[in-house]
Amino acid sequence: MKLGIVHETRTGERRVAASPNVVARFVKGGWEVDVERGAGVAASYPDAAYEKAGAKIVDRAGAWSADIVLKVRPPDEAEVGQLREGGCLISFLYPAQNDALVAALAQRKVTVLAMDQVPRISRAQKMDALSSMANISGYRAVIEAANRFGSFFTGQFTAAGKVPPGKVLVIGAGVAGLAALGAAKGLGAIVRAFDVRAAAEDQVKSLGGEFLTVKVKEAGEGQGGYAKEMSKDFIDAEYALFREQAKDVDVVITTALIPGKLAPKLWLKDMVELMKPGSVVVDLAAEQGGNCEYTKPGEVAEVNGVSIVGYTDLPSRMASVASDLYGMNLWHFLEEMGGASGWKVDRDNDAVRPALVLENGEKMWPAPPVAAMAKKAEPAVTPPPKAEVKSTPATPAPAPAKSHGHGPPTAAPSRGSGVLLVVVGLIAAGAWLALRLGYADTAVSKESAELLQHLTIFVMAVFVGFQVVWNVTPALHTPLMSVTNAISGIIVVGGLLGGTGDLHASSAVAIVATLFATINIAGGFIVTRRMLAMFRK
Amino acid sequence: MLAIELIYVAYIVAAVLFILALRGLSSQETAKRGNVYGIVGMAIAIGATLSLPAGDFHPLLVGSIAIAAVIGAVMALRVGMTQMPEMVALLHSFVGLAAVLVGFSLQLRGEAPLAERVEIYVDVIIGAITTTGSVLAFLKLRGTVSGKPLLLPARHFLNLAMLIAIVVLGVMYGRDHQDWTLEVAAVIAGVLGMHLVAAIGGADMPVVVSMLNSYSGWTAAAAGFMLKQDVLIITGALVGSSGAILSYIMCRAMNRSIWNVIFGGFGATPPPSSAKKPAQPAGDVQEIDAATLAQRLRESKNVIIVPGYGMAVARAQHAVRELTEALRKQGVNVRFAIHPVAGRLPGHMNVLLAEANVPYDIVLEMDEINHDFPTTDVAIVIGANDIVNPAAEEDPTCPIAGMPVLQVWKSKLVVVNKRSRAAGYAGIDNPLFYKPVTKMLFGDAKDAIEKVVAALKA
Repeated sequence: MKLGIVHETRTGERRVAASPNVVARFVKGGWEVDVERGAGVAASYPDAAYEKAGAKIVDRAGAWSADIVLKVRPPDEAEVGQLREGGCLISFLYPAQNDALVAALAQRKVTVLAMDQVPRISRAQKMDALSSMANISGYRAVIEAANRFGSFFTGQFTAAGKVPPGKVLVIGAGVAGLAALGAAKGLGAIVRAFDVRAAAEDQVKSLGGEFLTVKVKEAGEGQGGYAKEMSKDFIDAEYALFREQAKDVDVVITTALIPGKLAPKLWLKDMVELMKPGSVVVDLAAEQGGNCEYTKPGEVAEVNGVSIVGYTDLPSRMASVASDLYGMNLWHFLEEMGGASGWKVDRDNDAVRPALVLENGEKMWPAPPVAAMAKKAEPAVTPPPKAEVKSTPATPAPAPAKSHGHGPPTAAPSRGSGVLLVVVGLIAAGAWLALRLGYADTAVSKESAELLQHLTIFVMAVFVGFQVVWNVTPALHTPLMSVTNAISGIIVVGGLLGGTGDLHASSAVAIVATLFATINIAGGFIVTRRMLAMFRK
Repeated sequence: MLAIELIYVAYIVAAVLFILALRGLSSQETAKRGNVYGIVGMAIAIGATLSLPAGDFHPLLVGSIAIAAVIGAVMALRVGMTQMPEMVALLHSFVGLAAVLVGFSLQLRGEAPLAERVEIYVDVIIGAITTTGSVLAFLKLRGTVSGKPLLLPARHFLNLAMLIAIVVLGVMYGRDHQDWTLEVAAVIAGVLGMHLVAAIGGADMPVVVSMLNSYSGWTAAAAGFMLKQDVLIITGALVGSSGAILSYIMCRAMNRSIWNVIFGGFGATPPPSSAKKPAQPAGDVQEIDAATLAQRLRESKNVIIVPGYGMAVARAQHAVRELTEALRKQGVNVRFAIHPVAGRLPGHMNVLLAEANVPYDIVLEMDEINHDFPTTDVAIVIGANDIVNPAAEEDPTCPIAGMPVLQVWKSKLVVVNKRSRAAGYAGIDNPLFYKPVTKMLFGDAKDAIEKVVAALKA
């Protein structure tokens, strides 16, 4: 199979679909790779590097006629025409916004896979190009902000005096937001983050950020790790919080996106006006209209000395690493589809099916609910891959929601001990029976039947005991002891039965037995109660 | 007076309630309800017995129940949480004693068929072993008797002799049904119980206590056979298997077999390997003071506290709670790692921390937390020694080799609080103290932790 890596023609786009590093992997994996002349130059990857990696440098038409064309941006009209009929294209496509493009591609009878439609399930994380790009955007947003911010991010004590640390507010702690948070923290700033999803709190804290919340309780979890739109009360509370923060912070990075809609306006005009001159707002949602009301997509606006950065090409500004990571996503994607030897479009693969837009010109998007069902079966909310966050030692968040006390017992009794138990029980039963029968009286059959009955109950109770006690959480072993202590005071029944009739030696002894057994019952239950009352969450 | 059938139904209900009581303990949320089931079950069982048609109960019996209930309640309300091990051991002895007395009471009734005689004998023997063993365990835990194992020269032979004597007397009793045989056998069993417990050392006490727990259950079951009472058999079997499982868990946590614990006399003689180990983990221990530790804690993200028996002895759990709260307030993720044999009772540390109001969801078991040490900034070991001894993993010749331990040394900083430089109960040196990541915080656990808290708040 031949892969074609083509030059990106869109103005300002510096990325390329694969770095030489990735090409080397492809070649090693058995693919033939054709790279269009000069495709990687803007990303600092000269043709020679591709050749060294095992690719063939070809002209534009050559690269476009490969079996599978790898690309970053959606193709334009001219490029659609260059695709080989029956060929295959893998790139970002945004099929929901690009009806005309999808129709044009369909006419060419091609197979098209959209990298932006790879589902956000755990298994597909390594192919999640949106996350890779968001990670880069987040990092770059901090760098752009630092570039415009007139002071240090980290606080300093110099001989000349003290410089306070910069304060960064990140709105939306998704992949991009967390990457920004990590990068800003790494530069030494005081970092705060706001997100409507409660799950974000731990992630923010694990990166050393302060998590801001509003008093209104409302869950903000939407589908696929995105947030949903919030109620008016919530938004009012949120705005109040932002106005307060606007006076304090030096840098605001907004990353709030709601799938399929224009970005919500979160940083309003008056908030910008509240900010100190020299502050910076970086709006990562600029492409979807922006979170800030002053944002001009693709440009830097300036209001009262506050710069509002609305670049929509942040990943492209780090073309080298962006191409490398995007290429790796492609590599994993192609491997998932079977690799060089077994590559095919498998409609049953739930990591691939959602990305399939066209198959030989036939429209396959959006994926049918079967795939959606399969998608649901996987954990729906993908935790942002923390390992990708640059410049910060990735600290895993504390294992969430691990239910202590409900977990399985340390180990179940081994099968061996169960068998042993049965054997012991049978031997005991046999021995007792032999004993009974050996001294046969008149009432043999009745007595032995009775004994057998008791033994059955005994063995059953031992089994029940084993089953029940293995489920006791180790934290409650002391209360377990005291409660078993209390119920073993059931021996009091024996004392009671003996303490009948007139007072004589036998009943006196039984009364003393009752006394001790009752101390046990009262003491055991009360002490258990005391202990259990102390356990609190 | 109830119909006899109804009473038996009541017994079954009681037995089911006891099972539910144990089941309730599977989680902290349901545990309190479980205890209530147990109380209700017990009330039903006693009520049913008292309404037996044959009942002609002596007034003293009712009086003794009332008195005993008061005594039990007072004991239970007064006992401190650090004294739980003693309390539990003492209560075990009461069950054993009650069983012995019930056996004698039946014996004093006169004629009994052979099967019943055997049952009486078994009941009395197990009861006697439980009683004296528990009393000695109580005294050891209380500190009245030294916790060091008592190892008589021919102890295995002694045990065997006593066992044979008990069997011989049992045969005699079965044949002749004479009072003295039962009495002598009870005394011998009592001595055997004491001797067995005497030979077991301090750190193995959790196993002893859970074993006695098991015995007290088997005693009750034996009494059930004797009296033909299913409710006793079921309850006894439940308690017996519960104790057996606890013993097994404890033993496994120390990587030793139950026989090794009972007959091993562990920790008495200095292990031979230590003599030929001149290359003790060389180097000096490094100390740390409260203020420096507080500073390090303030800069940490993840802190794990490993409590041991030393925390119980110093009653430092409240100071530890304060430390936890202070750190959590500063956004530090504080958790507790509990080794299965930490303390002198299974689950001892959990109870102490619960008493101090530490939320139970940050108190984790060894298996849950052991892999988190590499990402931990500070691990604080309070009054624990053997359960954090890396020698168990690194030195195959050391006596605790193979015992699973908490791998505190993998964290970025380990602070060990100890009263002195003495070795742990196992009597072996701890190379942890000499590791470069380890700093020692000498002093009484309570004082030391309180100082850290003060420094943290300053």
